[in-house]
Amino acid sequence: MIENFLAGTAALFGDPITILIFVFGVIGGMLFGAIPGVSMLTLAAILLPFSAGLEPAQGVMLFAVIYCTGTYGGAITAILFNIPGAPENAPTAFDGYPMTKQGRAGKAVGAAVLCSAIGGTASALLMMAATEPLAKWAIRNIGPPEIFALVFFGLAVASSVGGNTIWKGWMSVLLGLLVATVGQDPVGGINRYNFGMTDLAAGIAFVPAILGFFAVSEIFIQAEKRAFGKYNAPKLDVNFPTFLELWRYKIAVVRSILVGFFCGILPGIGATLAAFMGYGEAVRWSKDKESFGKGNLEGVISSETANNAATGAAMIPLLALGLPGGALTAIMVAVFQFHDMEPGPLVFYNSPELIWVVFAAMFYANVSILFIGLIETKTILQLLRIPFHFLAPMILMLASIGSYIGRGLVLDVMVMFLAGMIGFLLRRSGYSIPGIVLGIILGKIGEQNFAQGMQMVHYDLITYLSRPICLILIVAGAITLGTGVYKALASNRTSADQQ
Amino acid sequence: MGKLNTSHLIEAMAWVAIAALFFIYSFEFNQKIEIYKFGATAWPRSILLMLMLVIAGNLFYQRANGSTPQPGRVGISEDDLDDAEKPLSSYLNIGSFLFLPLIFAWSLKPVGFYAATPVFTALVIILLGERRPRWIIGITLFIYAIIIGLFMIVLNAPLPQGTVSPFYDFSAFMLRMNNQLQNMF
Repeated sequence: MIENFLAGTAALFGDPITILIFVFGVIGGMLFGAIPGVSMLTLAAILLPFSAGLEPAQGVMLFAVIYCTGTYGGAITAILFNIPGAPENAPTAFDGYPMTKQGRAGKAVGAAVLCSAIGGTASALLMMAATEPLAKWAIRNIGPPEIFALVFFGLAVASSVGGNTIWKGWMSVLLGLLVATVGQDPVGGINRYNFGMTDLAAGIAFVPAILGFFAVSEIFIQAEKRAFGKYNAPKLDVNFPTFLELWRYKIAVVRSILVGFFCGILPGIGATLAAFMGYGEAVRWSKDKESFGKGNLEGVISSETANNAATGAAMIPLLALGLPGGALTAIMVAVFQFHDMEPGPLVFYNSPELIWVVFAAMFYANVSILFIGLIETKTILQLLRIPFHFLAPMILMLASIGSYIGRGLVLDVMVMFLAGMIGFLLRRSGYSIPGIVLGIILGKIGEQNFAQGMQMVHYDLITYLSRPICLILIVAGAITLGTGVYKALASNRTSADQQ
Repeated sequence: MGKLNTSHLIEAMAWVAIAALFFIYSFEFNQKIEIYKFGATAWPRSILLMLMLVIAGNLFYQRANGSTPQPGRVGISEDDLDDAEKPLSSYLNIGSFLFLPLIFAWSLKPVGFYAATPVFTALVIILLGERRPRWIIGITLFIYAIIIGLFMIVLNAPLPQGTVSPFYDFSAFMLRMNNQLQNMF
């Protein structure tokens, strides 16, 4: 492994063009992640046609690097503006944004930098050491029933950590799942809910939906506060956490690495669910559950470690099985295809040098998050100085471009602003925006894997549940759901007793 | 009725209306799939069934607790506008702010991005309370320059050009200028 890694490093840093592409990927991913309104996906969509002119290793490496640094960059906007740069940064905003309002933005961003680097580097090392055995294990033990079970567990966790009540948490998730049913059904390709619009046959793209629900709705919320004279500008603070402060959370970091890596290995799941699960587990194991959502540093640490830990792991199903784990890894499949290659087991034998350049680049990209991230962060924090009425139009324009570029449809810009309006109304009524977004992202994956799983077991539920990993995940999801419902009913009884 | 109020009932009715709409429309694609016993409607209808159960649970909760958030929830929305003064002009302002982006999105096809952007940017700045003309024009031009510089010149991103003259001609002019600039390097 070490020889291969050194060879990958030599190939990466031995060619000036490759170095330039690497540096561009690191800085581009961080910037596009950290600019509110656009994301790493916007950059990836713009760069995709250009990648045809690069060497295969350079092209794949560029997107792998953008994935690592963009996942980190999205945390900055989540913390500073309550606008997650990508869905995997949504749980970061739960505690990160309250910390900004309390004047502790520096602590939150500093923790995000360090934990993203730790999570990503650990994941890259695990990926290098264990891609082949893990891929073999995943082929043997993970199938559609397990993926559906994990989606169910993830949605149960999401419903339990967002929204004013468990009911509103679930209503949010179900709304997201309903939105995901628009377009062709994943089994038979039958058009659903396109309401006579041909553009809707391809479904609602999740980038505009995410930008609308997160970025546009936040702008509307702040504009409303401004209109009613209740707007408070976020407080600027550049004090990073000390090493001792972060050392207290070592167990949370290790737990989130494991959770993130496990979620990342599973095809189709990726970093978003990893972040929710990492956050959910932090809440579950904490002795001070009440402090989550109010500015607990552990929330930021857990979410950011887990989502970056999933980035390396997401390469395992992509490179070993040819299955993308999320939107950006799906774009990477297109990069392979531009060069007449198919990601999958044969890549390890036909193009080992490509694999190791990518692995080495991801390792160094995660390490560079720590150094460039700390320098960049001090600058990015200055964004808080820009008055809201100048920042808001900029974010709206960037979000419009971000949602248009993916498919080149004006409909997507319309969808984004409609999602913003709906998100604004739902947030005002105590619903969970991250829950809706996770529902949209996981809806199609969940349905597809449920259908495939059912076909595999010939529609026999007992056989379905006799698969151990599937059973464990379904039971864990059911317990999470049951506990939430029990707590809601208990609070009903308490209210009745008080009356 | 307990602590249920009119807004809770309207909220529940809105959700039921959404569920009903999706249920009725599900008959449009109620077809069998050869390879899948449950067909194309099973998944959306299961979601709708669960949604109805959760709406009932929510109403049950609101009957006992009103709008009070459930204790121990993470990431709950805070309503700090309850004690704010709410004049009609503020409602008009926020209403315009909500609909302006939709008009912008609708105008992108006929007018194009290059012509619609500065107008939209300036209107957003005005609606957010800025009244100094120099600042409005200056910031609008600054944002426009950044966006054109990054997406048109550096990244060559394809943006909507419009279909109606003179907006289409303006977009064509911008793209011609960009081509000339690119050829210089």
